Amino acid sequence: MRILIIDDDEDLRTLLAHYLKQEWPEAELEQFDPLDRTMPDASFPLGSYDVVILDYQLGRGDGLKWLAEFKKRADCPKILFLTGAGNEIIAVRAMKAGADDYQRKQELTRERLIKSVRELTLGTVEKTLSPEVAARMEGHALGARMRIPGIKVLHLIGEGGTSRVYLASRERDDEPLVVKILRSEVTSDPKALARFMEEYAMVERIQSPHVARIYDHGTSEEHAYLVMEFFEGGDLQKRLAGKALAPQESLRMFRELMMALGDIHEKGILHRDLKPQNLMFRIDGSLAIVDFGIAKHIDAIDMTGAGEILGTPRYMSPEQVQGRALDLRTDIYSAGVLLYQMLTGRHLFEGDTAVEVALQHLNTPPPGLPEQLSQYQRLLDKLVEKDRDARFRNADEVIGFLSRKYHQLPAAAAAADKTQPLH
Amino acid sequence: MTESAYKVKVAKDLQDLIPTFLGNRKKELDALRKALAAADFEQLRQLGHRMRGVGHSYGFERVSDIGKHIEDGARHGDKASLETQIAQYDEYLSRVQIAYE
Repeated sequence: MRILIIDDDEDLRTLLAHYLKQEWPEAELEQFDPLDRTMPDASFPLGSYDVVILDYQLGRGDGLKWLAEFKKRADCPKILFLTGAGNEIIAVRAMKAGADDYQRKQELTRERLIKSVRELTLGTVEKTLSPEVAARMEGHALGARMRIPGIKVLHLIGEGGTSRVYLASRERDDEPLVVKILRSEVTSDPKALARFMEEYAMVERIQSPHVARIYDHGTSEEHAYLVMEFFEGGDLQKRLAGKALAPQESLRMFRELMMALGDIHEKGILHRDLKPQNLMFRIDGSLAIVDFGIAKHIDAIDMTGAGEILGTPRYMSPEQVQGRALDLRTDIYSAGVLLYQMLTGRHLFEGDTAVEVALQHLNTPPPGLPEQLSQYQRLLDKLVEKDRDARFRNADEVIGFLSRKYHQLPAAAAAADKTQPLH
Repeated sequence: MTESAYKVKVAKDLQDLIPTFLGNRKKELDALRKALAAADFEQLRQLGHRMRGVGHSYGFERVSDIGKHIEDGARHGDKASLETQIAQYDEYLSRVQIAYE
């Protein structure tokens, strides 16, 4: 395998070459410094490479222009384009210009690099198709087939149990968007399909700055889809990465979460599946809730107490574990579990199995916060009360408590750029 | 800045790359100082941008953080903020402790 790495940063080129060499010791890796050399002309043997890794900012050059020139050539190999985080419009333009994959440079890990190069060289260098790669290839193919008016589906960026998620763009202005496509195995289940469509209908009704904006929905190629806003700031899971956040930052995010819950509860909707992966951040640091896949209108909840148990065990309320009828307080509890995780970097309850974790929500007293976080203990206690009658009744009550006790909370925008603690 | 801010965990297999990486950061610090003295904000922005990209890749999150602030400061022509960030970068590079694991 031959790979060309074009980047103006020597350290980054060296690092990428190191990762690739570890994975493919026989690979030939060539580094190209655009600060020393001009854009390769027609005499450059571009076709002798299997993959070109191309940065979007080449010192004085523009990676998108290089990409466009490369793609004019018949011998152009696969291009992995490196973009900056928080600048998704570059990714959109790169994919539209013919890049075969893109990675956000600031988030590029060894694993992501290898996975991307492996997928790009399938059928040429990599001959074996693992089930995971096969599933992704199927996902890529589906994205290419989808026809959504005014929208271009560009690239598979995530896969969940019920749907695949794609980077897309609005054709008129290249605005980055997300297209969520329900898996065919779920589409054939009328109940799951109805739940997916209900998600669209509910989120559309909410109209809150703290909830993901949905732009369109429909079916194409017999697949149900949603078109929604793209979150350049990623999700809470990524921000946590197994670490605690600074208390002020945790409280700022938690307060925004409460405002979001206030908005959705006002419409009579329970989320029922709050977890780090469902809390997204915009580029300005503001928070929005996504994935209303199992949300329900409060009037539609089975009041007999024999409802189905849905949700993520780590963040389930005790009444959710029991399959009891739910009200607003179930989301308050889950938000409390999230706050504990933000403050401490740990899960409220650990266990070897989902059942073990879920049962602790019912029976195990929550662990206390460390001494240095003791000022938040009372807040946490009232959020994760097992008896929901002793819990905060709604988001407004929580916001009022926060305002009284922690009135010096920083403004969202000011805190958005706060640096993360090192580990 | 807390002591933990100077501790960095780096994958063991990157150990051979780190001396060059840190050497380049020191050259970068000189370049930042020269660019600031010349009020060359475009150069400062480019250097900050590069720090953002490369710091995280090697596990030096603080390099990325400072790079982001330098990039922002350069965009706004904020000389005072740039001076502070460059001084912080200098302090960080002189005190950073690396644990290979």
